[in-house]
Amino acid sequence: MNWMKRTSSRFILVIVSIIASTVLGVSTLARQTDSVSILMPAPFADATAELVRSFNKEHKGRIHLDVIRGPLETESISDLAISSLLLGDTPFDGLLMDVTWVAKYAKAGWLAPLDAYFTDQDFASLAPGANEGNHAEGALQRWPLTSDLGLLYWRTDLMDEPPRTPKQLETISSRLQNSGQVPFGYVWQGRQYEGLSCVFLEMIDGFGGEWYEPQSGAIGLDGPAGIAAATWLQDLIATGISPRAVTNYSESESLQSFKSGNSAFMRNWPYAWAELQKDDSPVKGKVGITTMVAESNQPPAATIGSWGLSLLQGSHHPQSTIEAIKYLTNEQSQRYLFTNFGYTPTQAALYKDEQLTNAYPSLVAIGEALPYARPRPQTPLYAQMSDVLQRNLSSTLTGLTPPPAAMKQAQDTTEQVLIAAGATP
Amino acid sequence: MTTLLLLLLPSMLFMAGVFALPLARYLWLSFHADSVMTGLVAIPNDGANWNRFLNDLRYWQDLGQTLRFAVASVTLELLLGLAIALLLNQPQRGRALIRTTSLIPWALPTTVMALGWRWIFNTPYGPVNRLFESVFGHSLNALGEPSLAWLTTVYADVWKTTPFVALILLAGLQTIPSDLYEAARLEGAGALTCLKKITLPLLLPYLGLALMFRMAQAFGVFDLIQVMTGGGPASSTESIALYAYWNALRFLDFGYSATIMIGSFIILTMMVAIAWVVIATARRRSVVGAPS
Repeated sequence: MNWMKRTSSRFILVIVSIIASTVLGVSTLARQTDSVSILMPAPFADATAELVRSFNKEHKGRIHLDVIRGPLETESISDLAISSLLLGDTPFDGLLMDVTWVAKYAKAGWLAPLDAYFTDQDFASLAPGANEGNHAEGALQRWPLTSDLGLLYWRTDLMDEPPRTPKQLETISSRLQNSGQVPFGYVWQGRQYEGLSCVFLEMIDGFGGEWYEPQSGAIGLDGPAGIAAATWLQDLIATGISPRAVTNYSESESLQSFKSGNSAFMRNWPYAWAELQKDDSPVKGKVGITTMVAESNQPPAATIGSWGLSLLQGSHHPQSTIEAIKYLTNEQSQRYLFTNFGYTPTQAALYKDEQLTNAYPSLVAIGEALPYARPRPQTPLYAQMSDVLQRNLSSTLTGLTPPPAAMKQAQDTTEQVLIAAGATP
Repeated sequence: MTTLLLLLLPSMLFMAGVFALPLARYLWLSFHADSVMTGLVAIPNDGANWNRFLNDLRYWQDLGQTLRFAVASVTLELLLGLAIALLLNQPQRGRALIRTTSLIPWALPTTVMALGWRWIFNTPYGPVNRLFESVFGHSLNALGEPSLAWLTTVYADVWKTTPFVALILLAGLQTIPSDLYEAARLEGAGALTCLKKITLPLLLPYLGLALMFRMAQAFGVFDLIQVMTGGGPASSTESIALYAYWNALRFLDFGYSATIMIGSFIILTMMVAIAWVVIATARRRSVVGAPS
């Protein structure tokens, strides 16, 4: 009897503890915080670490935001995100997206439309240009965090005014090179990679053309402007205004050349400004920023390289993810990101903030360039189109193919790509 | 017989799971349109992928470039690897230390060393350009010139994988009994005769092994080129692995990417078969010719 008593009391204890833990479990579940994770390239994850901490403090008990620190390079992040999205159930709620991915990801059905979460007022607060490249498939797919754009850096100690037209850039460069003030005139991104497409977009637009018009499906690569842009770039190398090695230059090599005082002009993104103003920089205080050169009857063009946050399809906490996205992109966060890390703001108010513009003259120049921001072709097939262009441009820059033939080739291959994918309108 | 098969079954299943299954899936995929434009749904497309593959000049150019890379780098690696293996096989002081340190290039992650080479070959800041300038008076655009860029990738690959070849050949050298050399020397054979008549014939299986390993690896070269040149300039260093990767992960065109993989698989299999026949014939001939 004794053993029976003991067993039953044990049995009751087990039952009670099961009930208790269930009740407790349910109640903690009800109060459980939403765990939100956003994948970002390493530099962004590092820059936002402080913001994430304060977000989590403010939302303690409700939302816990985790920023996953991805690889450093843009395309490696895309590879990582795509590999996990292909498996179906994404481990991330949000993703920091480059402007060129939006159409592709939206077409693949990986993004959740954001229209319901943002008001007209939110849109009105965006700086001109920051609103470009966020829509695809007829819906808002991404909210901008930082608004990068291509700029022309020039040496204020070598000239009074920056050049406005391609011809002026050549003339000033030649003069400075001939008088031995700089070994090279202009450095840019000539390596066969995405940066080359950005350089080219600015030039084809500057010569009055258009790379690709998604609505009509018109491709302008072998039009007069396309050929003029390719010819101009090739001439820069042929005449020695740009070093031959520019054919393998990415942003870092261009910056290094310009920073060491070896060239009069550089095409680069806003981040280069902070680098040029460091104490070890021989050109510190001798650098101005302006828009890219363009034919005198054309507006200049600045390629957008913006980053923005997207909500991924299948996120378990869409509402909380949106809250995090709004927090990371609000005016205060953008002020922090700009002053501490040089990330170009997307909120219009910051460009009018005198305290900021006085402390950071580069912000004024960037604000002036923003209205000329141009997105690269917004199509799910952009990666192919860009690849075709890079390949043929690289061929002309290295002297293998004359510019008209290379542009003809690029035009034909782009058409083939669109036809093969069934994307001709 | 049944027991034999039964014992083999687990490993067969494993091989089927990791090797045959993906291959079958890719073969199936190569007959379908499966891209971002189809919403990542596979739709049969009547061999359109294969038609495109056969007419894809870029693929055949990449194949040529991949073969050029593979043949050049593997040949150099075998020659250098053999020389290093012969050296390392000599009795000398601190041999273990030298053997271990010679493996360092091979032990480095490819992307890390590729990034290093990208800076070494950088114009105008890299040491190679500096050296070239000081000797010839003008700069060397190694990574920006289509005729030169592929050579830098070969150079980096040779630097990295020669130790691997040397290691295999060194293992081979140590299986050769030393009394063979003693006997030959007694008969008055010189070092060169020993090398030709003893070392090389007996090392042939190991040379074949190294050749096979390295060819397969060089044929699929990816990370080294991705980091050093990204396939440029003018796509002159693009390999087929790079092209397949771009189609899959950049263009989200899985149907065509699968076609490239299967097509390359068939071509590589044929090449290995030919190499095997050549090696087998050579070996037979050397065995027949040995007593003379």
